[in-house]
Amino acid sequence: MEQVLATTLRSAAPLVLVAMAGVFAFRAGIFHLGLEGLMISGAFTTVAIGDATGSVELGILAAIGVCMTLSAVYWWVIGPLGANVIIAGLGLTSIGLGGTAFALGAIFDIRGSMFTDVVLPRPVRGATSGPGVIISEHSILVWITPLIVLVAWIVLRRSRFGLRLAAVGEYPFAARSAGVNPSIVRLQALLISGALCALGGAELSVGALRNFTENMTNGRGFIAFVAVIFGAWHPIGAALAGLFFGFADAIGIQSQINITERVPREFVLMIPFVLTIFAVWLGGLWRRRTLEAEAGYAELREPDY
Amino acid sequence: MTVPSGPASAEVPAVRCRSLGVSFGTVQALHDISLDLAAGRIHALVGQNGAGKTTLAKALGGLQAPDNGTVCIAGNQIPPGDVRAAKSAGLAMVHQHFSLPPSFTVAEALELTAARPESHSVYRRTELYRRWQNEVAEVGGTNVLATRIRDLPVETRQSLEIVRALVSEARILLLDEPTALLTPAATDTLFERLRGLRDDGVTILIVLHKLREVAAVADTVSVLRDGKLVLGPSEISGVSQGQLSDAIVGPAPDADRAIAVEAAANAEQQLLLELVRVSSRESAFEPGLASIDLAVEAREIVGIAGVEGNGQRSLVSVIAGLSAVTEGSVLLGGEEMTSAPPARRRLRGLRLVPFDRNSEGISRSAPLWLNQSALRLIGRRRQFPLISLRQYKRQASEAMDLWQVRYNTVAQPAESLSGGNVQRLVLSRELASGLEVLVAAQPTRGLDFSATNFVRSSLRGLRDAGAGVLLVSSDLDELFELSDRLLVMYGGSIVARFNAPYDRQAVGDAMTGALR
Repeated sequence: MEQVLATTLRSAAPLVLVAMAGVFAFRAGIFHLGLEGLMISGAFTTVAIGDATGSVELGILAAIGVCMTLSAVYWWVIGPLGANVIIAGLGLTSIGLGGTAFALGAIFDIRGSMFTDVVLPRPVRGATSGPGVIISEHSILVWITPLIVLVAWIVLRRSRFGLRLAAVGEYPFAARSAGVNPSIVRLQALLISGALCALGGAELSVGALRNFTENMTNGRGFIAFVAVIFGAWHPIGAALAGLFFGFADAIGIQSQINITERVPREFVLMIPFVLTIFAVWLGGLWRRRTLEAEAGYAELREPDY
Repeated sequence: MTVPSGPASAEVPAVRCRSLGVSFGTVQALHDISLDLAAGRIHALVGQNGAGKTTLAKALGGLQAPDNGTVCIAGNQIPPGDVRAAKSAGLAMVHQHFSLPPSFTVAEALELTAARPESHSVYRRTELYRRWQNEVAEVGGTNVLATRIRDLPVETRQSLEIVRALVSEARILLLDEPTALLTPAATDTLFERLRGLRDDGVTILIVLHKLREVAAVADTVSVLRDGKLVLGPSEISGVSQGQLSDAIVGPAPDADRAIAVEAAANAEQQLLLELVRVSSRESAFEPGLASIDLAVEAREIVGIAGVEGNGQRSLVSVIAGLSAVTEGSVLLGGEEMTSAPPARRRLRGLRLVPFDRNSEGISRSAPLWLNQSALRLIGRRRQFPLISLRQYKRQASEAMDLWQVRYNTVAQPAESLSGGNVQRLVLSRELASGLEVLVAAQPTRGLDFSATNFVRSSLRGLRDAGAGVLLVSSDLDELFELSDRLLVMYGGSIVARFNAPYDRQAVGDAMTGALR
């Protein structure tokens, strides 16, 4: 049981970080399907730069820089250039997945996995049994994730910037009338989003593990996006959803170890995804009423400019 | 900054524009407008749909960058399309459509639009409630602060829009058709409020449709026609009603040409639409229907009066087949249709002019010809599966020409039409052959008076041609003018039935539930 909880925290941390990234984008009105691509770019850059310089901090800073740059490009493509948000987001994901695999081969002449010595510090370690296992062996990023969620909540729900962000996402017309430039606010949201994706990717590669592997995000960016929707694009809600998906993942991992003699492995591997679908269905039921109410305001949401 | 107010500063116009021109593509929306609005007065701006009223208001408010010309607010020249500069010069717009985000609470929405950024960028909720409690005192007290915008009744939202404008320390208010969604009583309250603001020195420019409202509230009036300023600003006392309507319509009124309506009224069938003890579930906005009995016969217009939100939307969607009936039955031409899908009802002669023409009446992004031909596709299952696009486009353009829709090409998206033209498009589709009974929901809301007259004479024409019309409206004058019988809805049931001539007082009492 302790082991499951420990694995839950470890699996959930990158999901929660990227879900926060998704919440920022979603509240600014962007259906951000490029999270996966940013996350893997963050993971790769951390390992590549961290390994080259021998400093994990430099690696993470570089990852944040790369992800913010990619986010700025994404903003430029969907904003000033007017590309479709979904298509451009999926494109960003493809570039991230393909680009990191390519760079791994081109720069390091490696296929598959690249191992590294740099690793994030782990404040508590050494417990082998009892409740101590739950908090032991987690990277520093796991520890500060709750703090990041709290800050995200304050920024989004209790700050004037958050109000402007929400106005831009929900009703750009209102934001414009309030003297806000929606385009700039979207850029700000995407930059924050990029930085958070970089942290999520770094936790994956040098927090929980010590390597970069092609496609190591394995759909986590999309799961994080689902957590945003499931959590009603509220930072706390999305964090809880991310925690739940982490738990589902942990159950999957744990049962893989324990019950593979009796249940075919493929079914065990499905557990997290089945739970995810179930949870999203539940969330949909729960919110149906409010969505119906909003649909009735079509005339309000489509002012003729 | 604030603008000096009162008669002393009357020489500095609150709003001045010179040679203002705006064009959208090939369409010249505003043409060489020069206008001075004196401070501390209520100025009305009138004109037909598509005359450029909203565009002018937006250009003055900095929401629309003009192609040429200048705008000065209280003596400060505003860079083209600069909302912030217009705001800081003391101007605020109250939009035709509400401009506050629906999911925000009232306190959050006011905070979003406040003029000065407060020193702290992070706030507490209680702090917001404290800050805005005085401002909302007039619109429903402090308990409204934690309410979401979307949960407020329409007139509260309207007054909140004015509060929003005032918290940004505006001394000049631009109101774009604020009365379009209001009941007559709420309109009177609004005008009372505007007069109070004027007496405090606020300058007001109000875009209006109804000449009666202009006479009721304005000090001066200006008229736009086809993007040109054709009258004013003139003192309201110096302009007669006749001069005003001539200026609005122009020398060659084209709108009142009668249209031959083919109603395929079935001579034997008298009872076209019948609801027998119909009940339905409540929606998010409205009570459901509670055991409604209603009949529409051939050659009559039956009016439905009522304060908005008393089940009118439920009634229309039950008749159209868009929401389910829990009890009772709906008959069209004597045929049981209670659970029939909308398409079957339409084949049986039901036509619909929906409440929100922009979201329910048309597909905004689809081309005109597709919007116009949509009905022709119903019941095609037994016909040859291929259609001729050229033929459809030709038929659409013929129908739209007949209904005097102003458009450039049948391929342009429907959203490029102005409100009155959208309604003409809807009518051109719905009032085509095969009509037996028409449900018209707020058919003239937001239309200028020539378009309004056009719609009203079309409804009369339909009746005279043998069709039945169910007219749902919140405009009592319209109902009194058109209806052969009048029913009043309150809380989802019909609480009173009247025959002409109508007693305004009695109908009003029934609408507010005084009869219960």
